[in-house]
Amino acid sequence: MREITLSQAVNEAIAEEMRRDETVFLIGEDVAEAGTPFKVLSGLVEEFGTNRVIDTPIAEPGFMGIAVGAAMTGARPIVDLMFGDFLYLVMDQLCNQAAKTHYMSGGKLSVPLVLRTNLGATRRSAAQHSQSLQALVAHIPGLKVAMPSSAYEAKGLMKTAIRDDNPVVIFEDKLMYQDKAPVPEEEFLIPFGEANILREGNDVTLIGTSSMRQVCEKAAELLEADGISAEVMDPRTIVPLDEDTLLASARKTSRVIVVDEGHQSYGVTAEIAARINEKAFYHLDAPVIRMGAMDVPVPFSPALEDLTVPTPEGVAANARKLMSGEMIHAA
Amino acid sequence: MPHEVKMPQLGMTQDSGVIVAWLKAAGDAVAEGDALFEVETDKATMEVEAATAGWLAGVRKGEGDDVPVGDVIALIVDSESEVADHANAEAEAEAEAPDQTPNEAEQAEETPDGAAPHAPEPAPASKAPAPMPSAGKVLASPKARRIALEKGIDLAALRAQGVKEPIHAEDLSQVVTGGHSVLTAAVSGTALDALLASSDNANRAALFASFARGAWRVLFDAETGVAIRALDGTTTMTGEDSAALTLVDLCDTRLTAYAPAGGGSTLTTARQGDGYALTLAFSEDALPMPLAIALLDDIAARVENPIRQLL
Repeated sequence: MREITLSQAVNEAIAEEMRRDETVFLIGEDVAEAGTPFKVLSGLVEEFGTNRVIDTPIAEPGFMGIAVGAAMTGARPIVDLMFGDFLYLVMDQLCNQAAKTHYMSGGKLSVPLVLRTNLGATRRSAAQHSQSLQALVAHIPGLKVAMPSSAYEAKGLMKTAIRDDNPVVIFEDKLMYQDKAPVPEEEFLIPFGEANILREGNDVTLIGTSSMRQVCEKAAELLEADGISAEVMDPRTIVPLDEDTLLASARKTSRVIVVDEGHQSYGVTAEIAARINEKAFYHLDAPVIRMGAMDVPVPFSPALEDLTVPTPEGVAANARKLMSGEMIHAA
Repeated sequence: MPHEVKMPQLGMTQDSGVIVAWLKAAGDAVAEGDALFEVETDKATMEVEAATAGWLAGVRKGEGDDVPVGDVIALIVDSESEVADHANAEAEAEAEAPDQTPNEAEQAEETPDGAAPHAPEPAPASKAPAPMPSAGKVLASPKARRIALEKGIDLAALRAQGVKEPIHAEDLSQVVTGGHSVLTAAVSGTALDALLASSDNANRAALFASFARGAWRVLFDAETGVAIRALDGTTTMTGEDSAALTLVDLCDTRLTAYAPAGGGSTLTTARQGDGYALTLAFSEDALPMPLAIALLDDIAARVENPIRQLL
């Protein structure tokens, strides 16, 4: 199978859907001429023109509001939010308007909108351009949240998101845009709420979102050298969450580590860990371990920044602790 | 009329207090207000004063004992001559109240001349080396607890045998497959029957349980509870909260032994002629054979000669 970058995969997904459905349009800062700072959308304005690939001023609440209104009245906007950190600027449009309109209109209106943004630290972008804020929006009923972990997921989940009649937020890891993965030439979609089992194992389950999937896969390789058999799972969407698959793995291995790049406290890892505790408690042989980013603003210093995010070595070290049966009070 | 010295309640939520030190010994004359002993609660250590004047007698709790609030610890008698009377009375009361812990029985072994209470005597040199189990709730994973429940495995017994806490599912796998070994002892019942006949309210099962706890303590240098499973299926805990041993007393039936399913150690007592048959069913993974033999032999000796329980 051909391999393409995550950036190309997103571009393909959007182009295919724009060809398929003329109500789909792109809006955001630097999406047209510049093709985004990450060059993900390069070439789209040439094919679809400036009426469907719309550059906006630096005014996130404005273009987000425009998109919500457009979605309510029949269009299918893809909003490009240059950095996930800018979510704070569009919270009202996203959480108070887009998320609640279908419910508050008694089902008469829907908001088929995709908010495309990113997450991920270690790009030396400092505290205001490095956050992973998926927990913020996953908390809001009415929003779906997809977290592609490779080019394959990026394409399949984006196409599903564009076709969804409700608001979807997609977080791409900004460090993965140049990472290649096998992606079929023929059209495919990845349904929401279906976790992916990347590696089967019996001793410990490693659940990783977005780029933390790769961290978990590398940790599994480290553990294999120690004779520990790790199962690696990618939820792919955290809302909806494929509980059944995650719980089945937890019941099988009795030990779970959940890894997500958001801050660890009150985060995605906590939600997944809590559900496993509630629903697979009597199958657990050790506490479910959360591993998120350190609860600090992401440092600009590269040496410090690298310390704040989960690493394969850190995940493997925790897995070894779980296996050794030692008393664990905290990760 | 002797005045009873009881464990005071020194805090709103205090259930018991630990005697840190005795400041008076049996036989000592005490004045009202004299400090008798120091007691430690969860918050503080305090001195407990004599509420009346007299002579301290019948000290039945030693230093280090955790005593429930309201339990009688000692007496203050009106004359020095009564001190010796109560020292003797203590031993008898102990035999008639077998549901007290063996430790209390030891403390009751007060010499008439009023020697100070002493710590439990060292275990015999022949005692098998056994790990010291921690007290209180057994730390085990949810999975281990579920398996233990399903298989009838006693987690406290595993801990008593040295399985490291927290106990994990893996720790139970050997127990599950272990099955039971059975040891039987036939003992004379003369002395025990005489003891039981001497009191109207003697509880035979509780007496057996106290023998078992005493033997356990000598063998492992640690306290354990004994769960008494009555013939109606109800279970009563004696001694510590977690039981390493279950007791089934079949003496009132024609039955002779009971082999439990699952793990844990079970002591069955039954009549056999004029004597008793004691059966210990145990898992050798949890309780190695030499320890099981020593345990049952000591229990049997206590049944044949209940005075051993007091020594």
